[in-house]
Amino acid sequence: MSTVIGVGFSEKKDPYVAGSEAAQTALYQIHHRKISLSFLFSTIHFSHEKLLEGISYVVGSPRLLGCSGANLIVSDGLRPYGVGVMFISSEKLRCGIAAATDWKTKGAGALGEEWAHAALKDLNEPERHQALIFPDGLIENGSELLRGVKNVLGKSFPVLGASSADNFRFVRTYQYFCDSILSNSLVGAVIGGGLSFGMGLRHGWKPLGKPHTITASVGNVVKTIDNKPAIAIYADYFGQPAGEIAQALIRISTNYPLGLYIPGEREYILRNALRVDDEGGLVCQGDAAAGTEVRLMMGTKSRALTAATEAATEAREALKNCAIRGALIFESISRSKLLGRLTGDEMSRIKDILGDVPLVGISTFGEQAPLKSLEYYGSAHFHNETLAILAIGEPYGPGHGA
Amino acid sequence: MVLATALKQAGLAALVMNYAGMIGIIAVIVLVLVLVFKMERVKELNADLANLRRAFDDLDNQGKIILQTDLELHRAQEELDKKVSGLIALQELTRLISTTLDGEEIFLKIQEKHVSQIGFDKAIAFTRDADGYRLRTCIGYTWEEGEKVMNLLLGQPLLSRRILEEGRVFSSADEDRANKDVARLLALMALSSFVCAPIVQKDGTIGALLVGSESSFTQLTGGDKDLIYILATQIGQALENARLFEETWHAQQELEQKIQQRTHELSVALEEIKTVSKRKSDFISAVSHELRTPLTSIKGYASIVAAGKLGELPPEAKERIEKINKHSDNLTNLINNLLDISRIESGRVEMKMETIDLRAMVAEIGDMLAPPIKERGLTLALDLPEGLPPAVGDKNQIERVFINLVGNAMKFTPAGGRITVGAEDAGEHVKVSVSDSGIGIAEKDMSKIFDEFYRVDNEINAQVKGTGLGLSLVKYIVEAHKGKLTVASTVGKGTTFAFTLPKASAV
Repeated sequence: MSTVIGVGFSEKKDPYVAGSEAAQTALYQIHHRKISLSFLFSTIHFSHEKLLEGISYVVGSPRLLGCSGANLIVSDGLRPYGVGVMFISSEKLRCGIAAATDWKTKGAGALGEEWAHAALKDLNEPERHQALIFPDGLIENGSELLRGVKNVLGKSFPVLGASSADNFRFVRTYQYFCDSILSNSLVGAVIGGGLSFGMGLRHGWKPLGKPHTITASVGNVVKTIDNKPAIAIYADYFGQPAGEIAQALIRISTNYPLGLYIPGEREYILRNALRVDDEGGLVCQGDAAAGTEVRLMMGTKSRALTAATEAATEAREALKNCAIRGALIFESISRSKLLGRLTGDEMSRIKDILGDVPLVGISTFGEQAPLKSLEYYGSAHFHNETLAILAIGEPYGPGHGA
Repeated sequence: MVLATALKQAGLAALVMNYAGMIGIIAVIVLVLVLVFKMERVKELNADLANLRRAFDDLDNQGKIILQTDLELHRAQEELDKKVSGLIALQELTRLISTTLDGEEIFLKIQEKHVSQIGFDKAIAFTRDADGYRLRTCIGYTWEEGEKVMNLLLGQPLLSRRILEEGRVFSSADEDRANKDVARLLALMALSSFVCAPIVQKDGTIGALLVGSESSFTQLTGGDKDLIYILATQIGQALENARLFEETWHAQQELEQKIQQRTHELSVALEEIKTVSKRKSDFISAVSHELRTPLTSIKGYASIVAAGKLGELPPEAKERIEKINKHSDNLTNLINNLLDISRIESGRVEMKMETIDLRAMVAEIGDMLAPPIKERGLTLALDLPEGLPPAVGDKNQIERVFINLVGNAMKFTPAGGRITVGAEDAGEHVKVSVSDSGIGIAEKDMSKIFDEFYRVDNEINAQVKGTGLGLSLVKYIVEAHKGKLTVASTVGKGTTFAFTLPKASAV
């Protein structure tokens, strides 16, 4: 077995101790082999230099990527407090890692391009299969950032990612890159080599009410719906004045996002509204083009759990001729809120499909993953409210009977 | 011809025209009919469309109802989830803080993960001691920030009154957002909402617990207030327990220290007593020996002189010599007793332990003492049952015990009285008693009668001389046999001395 993955978890109060404890556990699981790539996720309580020092104490200076999340995802469910580490040891893995900082000055699109160039440079090989990104979750237009990445890597290059979070504070999120803790940044890897990756993406939200049309929009701002200020859709459906809706917009829109109809896709693409602009337009986390059919969406625990099974199945089916060695799980903070104490059941469903493999992840402010339909040529888009799974597979050897 | 042809043609044309007109009319009629039919169809379609629109709008309205209902359910579910998570965290925290009896450690048990579990980001707790309010725990703030937050709370009259004076929970959600004091406080504490509950002990509020959320999307509920109040109460209770434990522990330590000190003092005193006692015994032994030698000479010479071996004495001289002889006997007896006590006390007397038939021994002593008993008008009764198990002891010493006790009874029992010597099997011992129907011993004298040289202040003792060593000697002899000597007495009714001796079968 040339690829081994180990995960470690800690709830120790001191970030240094937590980092070293999680790293020690993960290192033990990979039998103290050389680390090819490592991932670090934590709740914001641990976002401190000491966390990385604790990891360095155990494993030196590994090639490390990750970010803060609203919750930490471990194999038995969600933890509102903790540190999770994944170490991958593989002779087949090739990757280029990079960090691009200061999106506020450069703009999200430029940041995406800068990161992609740097990652390709670090990879320094023509063969590449997958990009994995962790952008600052406070970037208002996630689609713009993704456009920058795709401008360099290609429109249909498979990109999966998780936007860092700070548990509904919306103040500061953190990105981890080698021995640095960053904010306002994008970190990630372009992966090549002999490993395979299976992506699965589902949300389970269903449309309610009649279809409406976005009649005017600018990038990620939906200006009007059915020629009325976009906020009116929430005011109308919830029977509350627009002012009251605006006050509680994030809470309402995370539970009841806008669903954009995408021809050929099994599910609507979801958009959370972050705020209301001066004209009553809804500022969303991703693009929403004029002319798109839009509906209000509603989720249930049962459908969210079914979506978890479907996402895991999708990731598993993409790795038919591979042994799954581990998986990264990125789940929207809204799903965590919806599922409440059932997040343990969600993880059980994922493990039922992927097997009892090492898992780690976070609750995010947004996810990046490709659309499946032919019309979109597998192009990656920004998503809200989804469960995104990246299963890491190792192709069976020639003698394998499967 | 031409005309006919023209007429014919004209007729034909007219006919054609007629036909064409008819066809046209028919066509128009058909078109009108089609139009009417189409219009009807359009009408029907419009009606269908209107129905569809209405149905669509109805569905949309139903969707709105579903959404609004779902929103309510969602809030209730979220509240319920929050409560359950909070209760789980509370249960864990309660378990943790109730397992420690150290006031400082109680606060160390409250950690960031617990604050997260109950849905908050930051927390501080402070309590009052002799020097004023002191920050005890600080989560999500630096210690300096925590102290600032504490001082802010203490300096805010609305909060300090409600929490510390009235012992009520305060939630920022209870106040109007426009309340400038609360808004200012929230900004200074870097929070968007908070709950603060009093830490209460039996004597009243001693501090407060504050938990807060940075996220403006956190909605505080009544459940949050209840939860934080319970947690603060648990902390107060745990602190109370810790305080009580500490007090008890200190009292116990103090007591143990006192006991140790007292034990040490007693040990020192005991050693001193032992030393003094040994010196006394040595002194008595030395003095007795030194006294006995000249006394023997005095008595010997007095006996010779009294017997007239050195010539007949005048009656006055003989009387004096006999008194010298008698007092020499008393003195010898006193010295012997003192020597015996001294020897027994210092362990210099070795008891020659042997089996004793108490019935036989008592009978012999009865015979021996029968004349003086009779002379005093007393009755001696022996109540030793047949089959009384034999005892183990030094025969001579036990005889001295009997003689002393019976002699004592004879001394303090008026004529006509009765002396009874009894014995019984008492498990591993044989219990022997000497009872009389004499004058008895007063309660105040009971504890002193075994002291050396102690003599009860009564009429008989005033008339009859004694050494005050008899009962002391008895006690020493009985204790040297690992027995126990007791006395029971009623003034005017009599006295019973009882002692135990080891049973032969038990040795």
